[in-house]
Amino acid sequence: MSNVILFNLTTVLFGVASALYLGALYAKNEKIARFGTWTCMFAAAVSTAALGLRWYESYQMGIGRIPVTNLYESLVFFAWAVNLFYLVIERKYASRSFGAFVMPIAFFTMLFAIKNDSTIQPLVPALQSYWLHAHVITCFVGYAAFAVSAGVAAMYLLKARQEEAKISQGVVGLLPPCKTLDDLVYRAIIWGFPFLTAGIITGAAWANYAWGTYWSWDPKETWSLIVWLVYAAFLHARITRGWHGKRAAILSIVGFLATIMCYLGVNLVLSGLHSYGGG
Amino acid sequence: MVDDKQAPSPMDRVWNFFTSVKLAIITLIVLATASIIGTIVEQNLPVEKYHQIYEDWAFALMDKLSLFDMYHSWWFLLLLVLFTVNLACCTIDRLPRVLKVVRNPRTRLDEGLEKSLSLADRWKKKGTVDEWATRYADALSSVFAKPRITRGPEESEEVHLYAEKGVISRFGVYVTHLSIIIIFVGAIVGNVAGFKGYVNIPEGGEITKVPVRGGSRMQDLGFALRCNSFRLETYPSGQPKAYVSDLSVINDGHEVLRKTIVVNDPLRYKGIWFYQSSYGEAGGTTALVAVTRPDGAPVRMLSLAPGEPVRIAGYGAIRGVDYSGDYEGKGPALKVVVEKPGKPETGFWIFSTPGADAARKDSLVFTFGGLNAKMFTGLQVAMDPGVNIVWLGCALMVLGIIIAFFMSHQRVWLKIARGKDGRVEVVLAGSASRNRLAFEKKFERIQTGVKAVEP
Ligand code: HEM
Repeated sequence: MSNVILFNLTTVLFGVASALYLGALYAKNEKIARFGTWTCMFAAAVSTAALGLRWYESYQMGIGRIPVTNLYESLVFFAWAVNLFYLVIERKYASRSFGAFVMPIAFFTMLFAIKNDSTIQPLVPALQSYWLHAHVITCFVGYAAFAVSAGVAAMYLLKARQEEAKISQGVVGLLPPCKTLDDLVYRAIIWGFPFLTAGIITGAAWANYAWGTYWSWDPKETWSLIVWLVYAAFLHARITRGWHGKRAAILSIVGFLATIMCYLGVNLVLSGLHSYGGG
Repeated sequence: MVDDKQAPSPMDRVWNFFTSVKLAIITLIVLATASIIGTIVEQNLPVEKYHQIYEDWAFALMDKLSLFDMYHSWWFLLLLVLFTVNLACCTIDRLPRVLKVVRNPRTRLDEGLEKSLSLADRWKKKGTVDEWATRYADALSSVFAKPRITRGPEESEEVHLYAEKGVISRFGVYVTHLSIIIIFVGAIVGNVAGFKGYVNIPEGGEITKVPVRGGSRMQDLGFALRCNSFRLETYPSGQPKAYVSDLSVINDGHEVLRKTIVVNDPLRYKGIWFYQSSYGEAGGTTALVAVTRPDGAPVRMLSLAPGEPVRIAGYGAIRGVDYSGDYEGKGPALKVVVEKPGKPETGFWIFSTPGADAARKDSLVFTFGGLNAKMFTGLQVAMDPGVNIVWLGCALMVLGIIIAFFMSHQRVWLKIARGKDGRVEVVLAGSASRNRLAFEKKFERIQTGVKAVEP
């Protein structure tokens, strides 16, 4: 199927972009990083086309449905959102060094995705709902924002170590100042948090419409709540107790680990009602 | 509030405990951790299962800690109560202060305030204070917002302009916090005044009561629900495509509502919802019979269990009594018996050829649709009068978060005073409650706009 070919191309492009950004940091060469940006933009176009094509192909197969309903599709959608988020940030903060930390997340996600079944399967009855669209899209945009935050938090921790040691050369010297990184860790979370909130709410609305219970403490639901609580704790620690810098960065990474657990771990490790993975 | 000098009284200490954000953060983390446990220890399994998984001592300990139904245990509920009280106290503690600040903003740019603001600019002009005050007030209205004007103190020649935008961003937090309490209220209303149940109805069967989940109680519906038929549709690959139940609501002997439900499309009547949830074979077979008018207009599909009469309103009762795989060379056929009020029973064979039965010249025409294994449909049943309160809370939560995160309370002050050298001294200052970087740019525009004013 041609959409899968385009997704494979996307994977290669994400890999190339990651390598270019890392190379640019290493060689301290802005020009290389610019190639990285172009690669990301091209990858954005290709992956958007691939999603559209997959959607179209599902209609041709007579089972028309949104392409975010199994593990393969959700991973691909997540990587797509991370890439777009990254491009927005690169523009807004006018720094290409984030790419070395964020694009590998998209690349490894795609590597993981293409190991999964990529055929278009019809939807089982439980997934045939308009709520599915709203639920999956809001959740994954939220996850993507948290991924960006955690990537930047990792940059922060590296940079802060170096600033403490008062070195300003080397690869890390090229990273934006700590203040910018710290701000971005927070900013990505305040985008992710409302999306996750909306994702949990649309999930509850859907559950209510499908089973008559908006909350049943199923492991997937519960883990999304855990993620939500961790980020709520992050926001309060920051706003009212002035948690900045290192502690905030660590909390962002913890939040993202919880996100990964919610997204993949629950299906691979625990059992649940959701359709991704396991099988 | 606590006086700095004296030791806090016990009451104050309790109050400080419940209004502290530290407690909130700890509660959030503890709730998260407890929830993790609840996803690792599988909840609400039969007791034998737990005995298989855990050693006796571990079982005893976990049972004591209610870890097998953790989310309904007393200590988890206590955590939720603590969380709610904390949230309510925090709001009671802070909201009045915010209201006060919003109602009585600092409209005068005194020295203390000026020093605390990082965005400030000062310049001098010739002319009178009043002239410039009017000009700057107009300028500020056009580049930012209409200012309030304060004069004085009496002895000095001084005018203060104060303009603000996005005051409601101060309330985003409270809308968010209130929404959590509203959601809890909705959940409690649902638990107290609603019920959840599950019921199986065989094809052709009827129920008026539903066993309530987690109890031995039967909930009376106040009406009857009939399952006319159940059907499983599959994709060409054999995967299930749809579970379809044809349901009728019967009130006082009349069918008042009929709906074909599938997963994700429930039936609702008098606040009670019926959700397609499961299915199975009920044992036995049924015969499908399509009922039409002589002109071919469909009336209904019947699912006849052997020998059991089904009533058709305005017609009579029909029952299936015999089946033949090939009756007189005309294909599969069903023998039915029709009973009309005040008339003797009549028996005849019906076939799968459409319209063949019209030869009987009756007011209804029957066509045999084949034999079916008799199925039952499994329905989740729910009544939750609190659910709309929950949705209200959810909507407010999203709204509150957006207000809190993406709106900013922006304030601009302009002080115009007579300086010692006789010229007019102007001070412009501004602040924003969040997203300061964006506000810096905006402040530059305000600066340019205001300074461009000429007599
Ligand atoms: C999971 C539940 C909670 C959520 C989703 C939540 C949400 C929020 C949000 C969105 C903000 C605004 C943050 C900002 O301005 O960037 C906030 C601030 C705040 N929250 Fe919560 N909150 C929760 C629980 C609590 C609890 C239990 C308390 C009780 C102490 C609390 C106390 C506060 C305080 C004091 C602020 C700062 C208000 C200010 O700006 O002065 N929150 N909360």
